[in-house]
Amino acid sequence: MIASLVTISFAFLAAGALLAFVPSRTDATHRVTYGAFAFAGVAALFAAAWSLAAPQTLGALPMTPAFFFGIIGAGTLLASIYAVGYLPLYRDTYALPWLAAAFAVFIIGMEAVVLAPSVLLFLVSWEVMSVAAYFLVIADSSESSLHAGLVYLIMTQIGFAAIASGLLLLADGAPFATWPMVAQTASHLSPPELAIAFVLLLIGFGSKAGLVPFHQWLPHAHPQAPSHASALLSGVMLKVALFGFLVSLSFFPSIPLPLAALVIALGLLSAFFGALHAAVEDDLKRLLAWSSIENMGLIFSALGVVLAVAAMPSSPLSAAVAAGAAVFVVLHTLNHFLFKSGLFFAAGTIAAKTHTRDLDALGGLAARWPFFSGVVLALSLSAAALPPLGTFFGEWVYLQSLALGFAAPMPLAVVALVMLGTIGLVGGLSIFAFSKLFSTAFLGRARSARAENPGTLSPSLIIPPLVGAVALMGSSLLAFPLLSSIGAASARSIFSDTTIAPGAAMNAWLVSGLLVAALGIVFLGRRALVSARGVRVTGTWDCGAPLSPRMEQTATGFAAPIRFFFRAIVLARKEFIVEPVVASNPWIAERQLLWSVASFWERFFYQPISALVLRAARTMRSLQSGVVQLYLLFMLVALILVLVIAL
Amino acid sequence: MNLSSLTMLLAESAAVMLAAPLVVGTVHLVKARFQNRRGASIVQPYWALASLLRKEMTVPEHSSWVFRFVPYVVLATTIVLAVVVPSAGIGAWPAAASNIFLVAALATLGSVFLALGGMDTGSTFGNMGANREMTLVALAEPALLIVLATLAFFAGSANLDGIVAFFAAAPWRASMLMALPTLLALLLVVLAENARYPVDNPATHLELTMVHEAMVLEYSGPYLAALEYASALRLTAFGSLFMNIVFPFGIATVGTGVEMLAVGVLSLVLKLGFFALLIGSLESLLVKMRFYRMQEYFTLAFLIAFAGAVLAFAHTF
Amino acid sequence: MFSMITKILSTGSLPEPVSLHERGEEPIGKSLQAAIKTLYGGRSLRIRHVDAGSTNAEECELTALGNAYYDVERFGISFVASPRHADILTVSGPVTRNMAHALKTAYELMPSPKVVVAIGDGAITGGIWKDAYAVAGPVDAIIPVDAVIPGDPPSPGDILSGLLSIIAAARRA
Repeated sequence: MIASLVTISFAFLAAGALLAFVPSRTDATHRVTYGAFAFAGVAALFAAAWSLAAPQTLGALPMTPAFFFGIIGAGTLLASIYAVGYLPLYRDTYALPWLAAAFAVFIIGMEAVVLAPSVLLFLVSWEVMSVAAYFLVIADSSESSLHAGLVYLIMTQIGFAAIASGLLLLADGAPFATWPMVAQTASHLSPPELAIAFVLLLIGFGSKAGLVPFHQWLPHAHPQAPSHASALLSGVMLKVALFGFLVSLSFFPSIPLPLAALVIALGLLSAFFGALHAAVEDDLKRLLAWSSIENMGLIFSALGVVLAVAAMPSSPLSAAVAAGAAVFVVLHTLNHFLFKSGLFFAAGTIAAKTHTRDLDALGGLAARWPFFSGVVLALSLSAAALPPLGTFFGEWVYLQSLALGFAAPMPLAVVALVMLGTIGLVGGLSIFAFSKLFSTAFLGRARSARAENPGTLSPSLIIPPLVGAVALMGSSLLAFPLLSSIGAASARSIFSDTTIAPGAAMNAWLVSGLLVAALGIVFLGRRALVSARGVRVTGTWDCGAPLSPRMEQTATGFAAPIRFFFRAIVLARKEFIVEPVVASNPWIAERQLLWSVASFWERFFYQPISALVLRAARTMRSLQSGVVQLYLLFMLVALILVLVIAL
Repeated sequence: MNLSSLTMLLAESAAVMLAAPLVVGTVHLVKARFQNRRGASIVQPYWALASLLRKEMTVPEHSSWVFRFVPYVVLATTIVLAVVVPSAGIGAWPAAASNIFLVAALATLGSVFLALGGMDTGSTFGNMGANREMTLVALAEPALLIVLATLAFFAGSANLDGIVAFFAAAPWRASMLMALPTLLALLLVVLAENARYPVDNPATHLELTMVHEAMVLEYSGPYLAALEYASALRLTAFGSLFMNIVFPFGIATVGTGVEMLAVGVLSLVLKLGFFALLIGSLESLLVKMRFYRMQEYFTLAFLIAFAGAVLAFAHTF
Repeated sequence: MFSMITKILSTGSLPEPVSLHERGEEPIGKSLQAAIKTLYGGRSLRIRHVDAGSTNAEECELTALGNAYYDVERFGISFVASPRHADILTVSGPVTRNMAHALKTAYELMPSPKVVVAIGDGAITGGIWKDAYAVAGPVDAIIPVDAVIPGDPPSPGDILSGLLSIIAAARRA
């Protein structure tokens, strides 16, 4: 039964992709196509839910694939519903049938990656997914999309090469090896070989997941795709990369501590750079992409903690820390999918209705779309990991387990301390980034004519982010208590405390209850205390000089302090150019402000490498003399060298 | 008759919520006396709040529902913060209620909504205050988390009740010596979280020095009363937390005799009085720092917190 | 710092007592009466000051209200940064054409009950700038005025006792 649900999912995706090419004068084809995709998503979701709920059923997926399969299914469902209302707005920009086909192939690729039983199938599905994603990125065939797509394609091929060599190294070169066989052969490998395979796999999957320093492509590629695809790229494809890494981890008989530390370090670096760039970013969708880097970084750092604990002698304390970190990985995978896809849907809606992604040109949308702004507020609070939404509880467990790590022996305690401090800063910056996102897009006054009259929203545009927000509430009240009680000694009610170690208790219901009760008391108190003098709407206090939207704080202005404080890292540059118009009077001048931020890694990692490669190429060029005899000599030398090596 | 959780909870919540305007009044009085003025009476903030409740509300035309929603959320989160933080006694709440990270998140949630209120006015003052506030929140977060986690490490308990119980049980001089850097960092964070000197000037009329005041400029009448009360309550909550760790005396515990509750409330009043004296003196003797030097302040707070944590680790071996 | 603290301690309390003078001539208006009644007899009053075009003489005197000699805070009166926070709007100077809009908005934004006090002869009649080309008129030509404190400029003591007398009279009436 589960197997047939999976088959239905694949079949509907394929059928939808074909149906998309049926010509029709109305939206019927489009609707039917995405209806089929949505149905495929439902089937996948059901298959996953069934497998998780009843693992004994015939054909049930194992736990990890089922979890990720469910995320893919849910993502497909939401993105398809969204696409019904979203894509018709872009009829002229995109070739809708081809886009639908790329979308379907992309999802088929992701589903196949999760289900792949052997090395070759895994690699093929991975490549199908990656290449289909390339076509989603370049869908609008604009100059910037093509450039972003090219960078993406290069990075993804480097990543693919690393994954393929890593997996084949583990499988001892057997492409048809199934996972158990890979684990079997991997157990005979020497520690250096295992270490090389581990680093290769970390580079491969890390480059897909956007880990620093392989993240350069992500903030450019994800925002260029149409928003229903961006949501899947950021919300789901990154999770598939995480899945790939998790699967390959299971082949290693043991992972030495330095490698686990490497995962932690890369994770924290990614989280920091992602959060910092999200805080100073002005582009709505690119801000979300940076935040994806941050969140994947947090997940990988927690994964590193689990690996590090496994590499050390076990104790009740370390077990508690690892359990907390593992719960965070699962919860955050789910929560990040929910809020990030929800926010990408919302961003797509905003961009479609106001024709800009620039936060500086938005503003005032909360007055036009009160309900929608409430949904986005909930998603933003969730992205900032604030209570009472799901993300907070995931991070709570993580922070709590790091705080437990303070009791570990000396060097480890300091590691826990540094991690806690870094995650604190990352959390602070992401709160900054998302309060900036919400307040500059939705609050105050519109800073452009398009944002002034954005028009109305169809249900198809509102429902997917709304589902995300509601699911995040559910995630705090249900998923957190359920997940965190896995492995607990006694079955507990979801209403009771979660105790990950003595003295560290958490309770989602209590938190939500307290907040709701306090809000209720405040509302009641208002009724009782305030006389009916009423509310009078007046102008804004302008000190006598009428305010215009141009005086408002833009996203650029909002981030100015952070740009200043972290100027050495975001490479912020600000220049005020004054050119006198009249030579005799210095006050009559043309003034221009130039400012920019740049990527630390591009300047100090990629540019030196590319400069090195170019210099090497220039040196080699002197060999290219054009003299035929010289080429013959090279060939002879090469032949002799090959013979020497071979013999 | 022994103290039940419910009695304790009601008594200490009532004590903190009633005392909040008094703390602000005392701070004002201390500052006035430093200036050789007589100053307003310490009950002045009650009259101020009562007068505001009787006034009309005017709201800016370009604001949305968020502007009107903000005072409720800010007040509600602050009330939750104030009732779960140990004040007159401990043990009234389930352990999970006063978890350190929950308390930190509640404080931040209030700040975020306040900033949203400032951004929704469409006025440059509110915008500027909001962006400064969010910057301070972002920079204060690492030091705040480290301080709280270090205190939890000392106490072996991640909830504030447990932390206060630990300090109450430990020999005072030894524990203070051990926790000195952490408590200093806590004080720096408390000053920043409550918009006091040297981070913000709570009595300012100049936009150059405003953070908190700039965000509430467009609120009036009962909304303003709610926000002013929330800010007083927040100061009181952080104050009672700080004082209960620094002077962990006379704290009632659930299960002891009822007379302990009277002792607890009385000592809470004394502690808050001392805290107001401390804040008032600091504000009279310190100068406000430039906003664009805030990274130095928070780096200092972070380094002290870090040193405190390392000292704590070293102490246990 | 220590020399500052010693100085503070050796100086002691400075505020001077304020004598209220009877306000026989002008009657207390209904709206002023009602406002003070609603606001608990004026125990907590917040002032927003608008300089509508004065010579800054009134502002100098108003600034002195906060110092240690006059200490306006001991009567529960304070200055605030926004008209939305204010109960009393004090206006000085003849209202210039450029400031008329600002004055009107400030009045408009104040939540009722509100009281407008014109401070100084310029604000009350226009003073020596009366009917000048840049002057829109005295304050009551722009917004309703509830009470006045005459003088050119009134001294801080005059302003303080004026304010307190107005409040006391409104409370009694």
